[in-house]
Amino acid sequence: MRQFGSSRLLLAPLGIVLAGLLVLIAKKHILGFASPTELLAGMDWSFAPWLGLACVLAVFIQVLLVRCRADSWLFPIALTLVSVGAVEIGRLKMALFAPQLRWLCVALLVFLGVLSLWRQWQRLLDYPYLLGLVCVVVLGLPMVLGTEIGGSKNWLVLGPLSVQPSEFGKILILFFLAAYLSDHRQVLTAARRRLLLLRLPPLRFIAPLICIWGLAVLMFVVEKDLGSALLFFGIAVLMTYMATGSKSYVFLALAFFGLAAAVSYALFGHVRVRVAIWLNPWSDPNGMAYQVVQSLFAFGTGGIWGTGFGFGHPGFIPEVHTDFIYAAIAEEWGLVGALMVLVCYVLLFWRGICIALACSEEKKALLAAGCAALMLLQAFIIVAGVTKFLPLTGITLPFVSYGGSSLVSCFMLLGILAALSVGRRTA
Amino acid sequence: MNDWRMHRQILGAAAFLLVCVAALGAYVIWLMTWEADELAGNPLNMRRSATQANIIRGTIFDAQGRALAQNRADGTRSYPMGAAFAAVTGYTGQEIGSAGIEAHANRDLLGETADMSRLGPLAQLFQSDRGDDVYLTIESDAQQAAYDGLAGRRGAVVVLDAATGAVLAMVSSPSYDPNNIEQQWQALSQQEGGPLLNRAVQGLYPPGSTIKPLIADAALREDVTTTSETFDCTGVLDVGGGHTIRESHGEVHGTVDLQKALTESCNVTFGTLGMRLGDKRLQSAFERFGFDQEIGGDILMTKSHLPPFGTLGSGDQAQTAIGQSSLLVTPMHMALLAAGIANGGTIMEPYLVQRVVTPGGLTVRETVPQTWRKDVTTPSRAALLDTYMEDVVKKGTGRAANISGVRVTGKTGTAENAQGEDHAWFIGSAQLPNRKIVFAIIVENSGGGGTEAAPIARKIILSLS
Repeated sequence: MRQFGSSRLLLAPLGIVLAGLLVLIAKKHILGFASPTELLAGMDWSFAPWLGLACVLAVFIQVLLVRCRADSWLFPIALTLVSVGAVEIGRLKMALFAPQLRWLCVALLVFLGVLSLWRQWQRLLDYPYLLGLVCVVVLGLPMVLGTEIGGSKNWLVLGPLSVQPSEFGKILILFFLAAYLSDHRQVLTAARRRLLLLRLPPLRFIAPLICIWGLAVLMFVVEKDLGSALLFFGIAVLMTYMATGSKSYVFLALAFFGLAAAVSYALFGHVRVRVAIWLNPWSDPNGMAYQVVQSLFAFGTGGIWGTGFGFGHPGFIPEVHTDFIYAAIAEEWGLVGALMVLVCYVLLFWRGICIALACSEEKKALLAAGCAALMLLQAFIIVAGVTKFLPLTGITLPFVSYGGSSLVSCFMLLGILAALSVGRRTA
Repeated sequence: MNDWRMHRQILGAAAFLLVCVAALGAYVIWLMTWEADELAGNPLNMRRSATQANIIRGTIFDAQGRALAQNRADGTRSYPMGAAFAAVTGYTGQEIGSAGIEAHANRDLLGETADMSRLGPLAQLFQSDRGDDVYLTIESDAQQAAYDGLAGRRGAVVVLDAATGAVLAMVSSPSYDPNNIEQQWQALSQQEGGPLLNRAVQGLYPPGSTIKPLIADAALREDVTTTSETFDCTGVLDVGGGHTIRESHGEVHGTVDLQKALTESCNVTFGTLGMRLGDKRLQSAFERFGFDQEIGGDILMTKSHLPPFGTLGSGDQAQTAIGQSSLLVTPMHMALLAAGIANGGTIMEPYLVQRVVTPGGLTVRETVPQTWRKDVTTPSRAALLDTYMEDVVKKGTGRAANISGVRVTGKTGTAENAQGEDHAWFIGSAQLPNRKIVFAIIVENSGGGGTEAAPIARKIILSLS
C-alpha cells in the first residue's frame, strides 16, 4: 500500500505529459486540419513506445526506491521537470519529442545502473588523484579534439553520436572534490600559514584546487564554454567552503576569478561582446543581442498567466529548445509556470541537502551536497542568463532542456543522490 | 558524520545558493509583471503581429450596413467602395502599416479587448478566429455624392450630424484605391498632390470669408458693434501703414449692416471689426471655438495654425478677420465651426465608429456622443447668425446651395493662397427631416466658393433627403 502511495507522485508528470499532448492534438483539430480520426491516424506516433517504456521504467524505479527505503521525493520531482520540458519540446519541435523520450529511457536505465552498482561506484571516492587525472583528461579532450557546435567548442563527435564531455566531467569533478577535500580536511582547515590577511595551508595542498579553477578558466577561454566554466568554478568554491568553512579560500577563489575575468575581458572579443550584450541589449537588438532580446520579449508577453500552452510564439528565439527553453515555458505557462519550475529545483536541492546531512561519512555528505548544489547552480546560471539577470552563458536547464548528454548526466547525479539515501528513511 | 561544523558549513553554502535563487525569482517576478507590458508592446516584438496574422479581420460597415471593407476568401482585404471612401476606411498592409479606421479600430477588427489580455490562457477560450465588425456613422450616399462633386479636383469634404458629432461623410481628393495599395505604394507615396494625406483632417488651408461668422459672433459678444450699426463700404479699407484691403472683383457694397455684410461677404466691414477687436479678443474668439485644439481617437485632426496673436499689427488683424494673414485651418474644423452655430453654441466631438459587434452579434462597444466645446456662443447669437447664414443661401453668395423645401444656411469663402488660383470654400448646415447636418467643403485652386463649392453642398443635401 505504501509503495502504491508513493507511486502516486508519478501521476503529476504523467498528467503534464498527457494534458500537453491533448492540447497539442486539440489545437491541430480546432485549426481545422482534419477530423479527429484522420488526425489520430495522421499523427506521428513514434513517441508512443518510448512514452510507454518510460512510464514502466519510472514506476519500477519508484517502487524500487521505496523498497530500499531511499528518498521517494527526488525522483518524482525530477520527472515533473522532465515532463514540463518534454511537452514544451514536443510543442516547439514535434520531431524532437520522440528522441527526448528515448533519451529519457536511456537516462532512466543509467539511473538504475548507478543505483544498483553503487557499491562499485563509491570506491572511486578512495582514489582522489586518479579521479583528478581522469577529470583533466575528459575536460581537456574537447580542447584538443573538440568540434565547435553552436559557438562552443565543447563537443566530441564520435561517429553518429555527439557528446558533451563537460556534462560528465562535472560528475567526475564532484567525486574528485568530495574525495580530495575530505581526505585533506584537517590540513586544509588547520592552515596556519599567513599570507597577508589570508590563512592558507602549504601550496601543495591547495594546488589541486587551483588546478580545477585553472581548468575552468581554460575551458572558458579555449572552448568559449562560459556556462560550464562558471558552473565548475562555482561548484568548486561551494564545495571547498562546505568542507573547510574557510573564508580565505572563498576570497582566494573570487580574487582568482576576478583576475581571470579581467584578463579575458581585455584579451578576448567574444567575452567583451557577451558583457556588452548584457549591459545594453537594446543597442543591437537585431544583431548580437537578438537571442536575449527575443527571450526578454517572451517573458514580457507571457505575463502572469502566460499565453497558454501552444499559443505563444517562442519560435522567434533561436535555440529555444535547448538553452532557452525556460523562456518558452515562461511565455506559454506564464509567471506561474516559470516560478513552479524554479520551486521544483529548490525542492530537489532541499531533498539533496537533507540527504547530505543524514550521511554518516564526510565524503558522502560532501558528494551529496555537491550533487544537490550542482543541479541548482546550473539551473540558476542558465535562468539568470536567459532573463538577463547575469550575462548569458550557454548551458542546459537540467532535466528540462532537450539533449541526451544533459539528461543522462542529470539522472546520474540524481542516481548518486538516491543511492546515498538508500536505507536512510525510517519505516 | 559526527562533525557539526561540516553540517553548519553545508547549510551555510545551501543558504547562500537559496538566497541567490530567491533574488533571481524576485527578478523574474519583476520582469513578468512590472516590465511585462513594456516588453510585450515593444515595436520589435513580433509576437503581436504574429498573433494577428491568424485572425480574420472584421468587416467595416457604413451606417446603412453596407460593407466598406471586408476580407476576401484568400485573406486579402477588399474595399468595395474604392477610392471615394479611402479617407474613411484607410488601408492595411503587412509592409505599409495602416491608416484610417483600419488603423484606429485595429484592436476591434482583430477582436481584442484590453481586459482580455489579462486573462492569460483563458483568453484563448474567448478569442475567436474572426475579429469584430465595426459599424461607422458614414452615410455612403453622401460620401459618394461629395466625392463625385469634387470630380477629381483637389479638395476635401466633411459632413457631420450637428446634434451628435457623427461623421456622415469625410472625403479627401485626390484619393487612392485601397484595394491594391500595396502594389502602387511606391508611386503613391511620391506622387504629386499627396493622395495619402487625409486633407479633411490634416490639410491646412486659409479659411477666407468662411471665418466671418466667427468674427461676427465675436464682435457682437465683445460689443464692438451692434446689429443696427451700419458700415460704409467704398470697396477699399485703409488698414494703416500704407496697406489696404479690397473687396473681391472690385465690388462696392455701399451702406451695409452686419447682416448684409455677412450675406454679401463684405471685407471692409469685417476688416474694420477685426481691427476693433484687436489681438486679445480675436485670440479668445478662436480659442472659444477650439481652433487651438487637436482631436485624437478615431479622427486625428491636427490643430489650426493661428497667427502670432499679441504681435499683430492692425493690417494683420484685419486680414485675420477675413480669413487670410497666416491663419490656416482644417476642413473638419470649419465643419465644427458651422456645428457650433447650427447647434446653439455646443460643438459635439466628431466620431466615426458607431458600434462594435462580435461575429455572434453581441454589441461590445457603442459610442455615446460627447460634447467637445460648450458655450462657444449663446443660443440667441447662434440663432441670429443662423438666420444671417440662411440669407447667404437664399439671396447672397451661396445661392447655388439653395434647395426648395429644405432650410439651408451657409457661408462661402474664396481664399487667396500662395499656390495660385483661390480656394473655393463653403460651410453651413441643412435641416433634414430627421436631423440637422453641418458641412465644410473646400475645392483647392478652383475659384469662387459660391460657384465651385456651394453646388457640392447641394448634391450632398439632396443625396441625404
